[in-house]
Amino acid sequence: MSDAVVDARGVGKIFGQDEDRVEALRDISLRIEPGEFVSLIGPSGCGKSTLLRLIGDLTAPTAGQLTVNGKAPTQARTDRDYGIVFQKATLLDWRTVTKNVELPLEIMGIDGREERAARMLDLVQLGDFGGHYPWQLSGGMQQRVAIARALAFNPSLLLMDEPFGALDEMTRESMQQEVLRIWGETGTTVVFVTHSIPEAVFLSTRVIVMSSRPGRISHVIEVGLGHPRDVETRESQDFYDKVTEVREALRRQEQAS
Amino acid sequence: MSPDHEPLTLDAHRGDAAVIGPGSAGRGRNLVPAAVAFVAVVALWEGAIRLFDVQAFVLPAPSVIVGRFVATSGEIWSAGLNTLIEALVGLVGGTVVAVVVSLVTVRWSPVREGLMPFAIAANSIPIIALAPIANGMFSLRSLVPKMVVVGVVVFFPVMINTTRGLLEVDPDEIELMRSYAATPREVMWQVRVPHALPYFFSAMKVVSVLSIVFAIVAEYFGGSQEVLGQYILTKANLFVFPDAWAGILVASILGLALYLVMVVTERLVMPWHVSFRAEVS
Repeated sequence: MSDAVVDARGVGKIFGQDEDRVEALRDISLRIEPGEFVSLIGPSGCGKSTLLRLIGDLTAPTAGQLTVNGKAPTQARTDRDYGIVFQKATLLDWRTVTKNVELPLEIMGIDGREERAARMLDLVQLGDFGGHYPWQLSGGMQQRVAIARALAFNPSLLLMDEPFGALDEMTRESMQQEVLRIWGETGTTVVFVTHSIPEAVFLSTRVIVMSSRPGRISHVIEVGLGHPRDVETRESQDFYDKVTEVREALRRQEQAS
Repeated sequence: MSPDHEPLTLDAHRGDAAVIGPGSAGRGRNLVPAAVAFVAVVALWEGAIRLFDVQAFVLPAPSVIVGRFVATSGEIWSAGLNTLIEALVGLVGGTVVAVVVSLVTVRWSPVREGLMPFAIAANSIPIIALAPIANGMFSLRSLVPKMVVVGVVVFFPVMINTTRGLLEVDPDEIELMRSYAATPREVMWQVRVPHALPYFFSAMKVVSVLSIVFAIVAEYFGGSQEVLGQYILTKANLFVFPDAWAGILVASILGLALYLVMVVTERLVMPWHVSFRAEVS
């Protein structure tokens, strides 16, 4: 047993067999402590989403050992230890915003659904939109509903797979601010997949830089910008320096391969 | 039979800037063009028949057909009622069996793999050729053989469309449910069934009309005389063509009525669907 939320030791993932064999991840070792905000960044095909899906038990590793909250990922999933947000909001069209947030609560048989859903919608600042249907909301608002839904059952871990990839730059920055605020308020551990360097630096306590074919961890960068972070953080020299550091790390591993 | 509705995929660019007003009654339809077209066609038809003095056995004038429709309405509607009963029982029966088969085959894929080849093979049987045989299975005046023919006709399109709808689900939605450790039953009712509704109703709009058509065709092969098919056949054999046309008018009204029932039901069951959303400029 370990205290880490995520503990990966020598984890590998191979898809397919024989000629179709693709090695997506090789020898991933990573510990994520409670309350951390960890970003996975790397070029397409570096397996960052696959790593997230391994943590969420949406696919299984083919090598190594992986625990989530000290348990096998399947156990963690069935214990409802994590909430997940995809690049698409993936809201159910036939449910109102409130009913979408209540979906996991219904499935898990959690009581006080209305009150919880209302609290979650307040958290993402959509308190007035509970009666709307998803298609009546903008892309950014839809994604905020998805975050409210993922947090509705108080998971200790939040997995986010390029959640702002489809949003415009302005919306994206305000969503990043939102997520930081929510992270601060809930104390949830976050694993965040992105291909945006400034996004990774702005959000994270730690940035994991990955390289591709096969996916490996090439650098681990502690961000250490302190909190709270805001627009001034984005314009600070420390922020630029960290962005440069991540960019250099990405470039070095590209040249090496 | 191909499903003819737009897929459920969401438009990524849909109103990114602001909240779109609540979609209330759905898009309003302007009925004026359709009414004008209808009146024009009927007037042309009437005028052409009078102008060229067309004989009734070729094509009677609409006024004559409507006249006979009114004059024989008691007889014609009682025949129509029997035909409607055949169509409805066949429609409901075929649909229920089709939906149950869809749900079972989607839930347990070995059942699907075992059953699908036979369902496809069965679909290639010319169903209407079964009508005379079905007649022989039941008593002479029974309506049941017609119901069976309608049910078999209805089954396949409904089953294929519903199955497709149940299977065409965004993989992210399935993974989301998996992340909640949802049971297969919950995945079915929370995600798959709502996705299948548009496919189901596409099929229902087609087969509701087909049910009347095939009931009448099955009636041509004999059995009870108190049915629309026999009424039309008898009147045609007696060269009373306006009466036969009045029978066809009743058949059309019945088919249209069933179709409209499906349209209204669809709106009531899935008001959230993209095709009913209010147009917003």
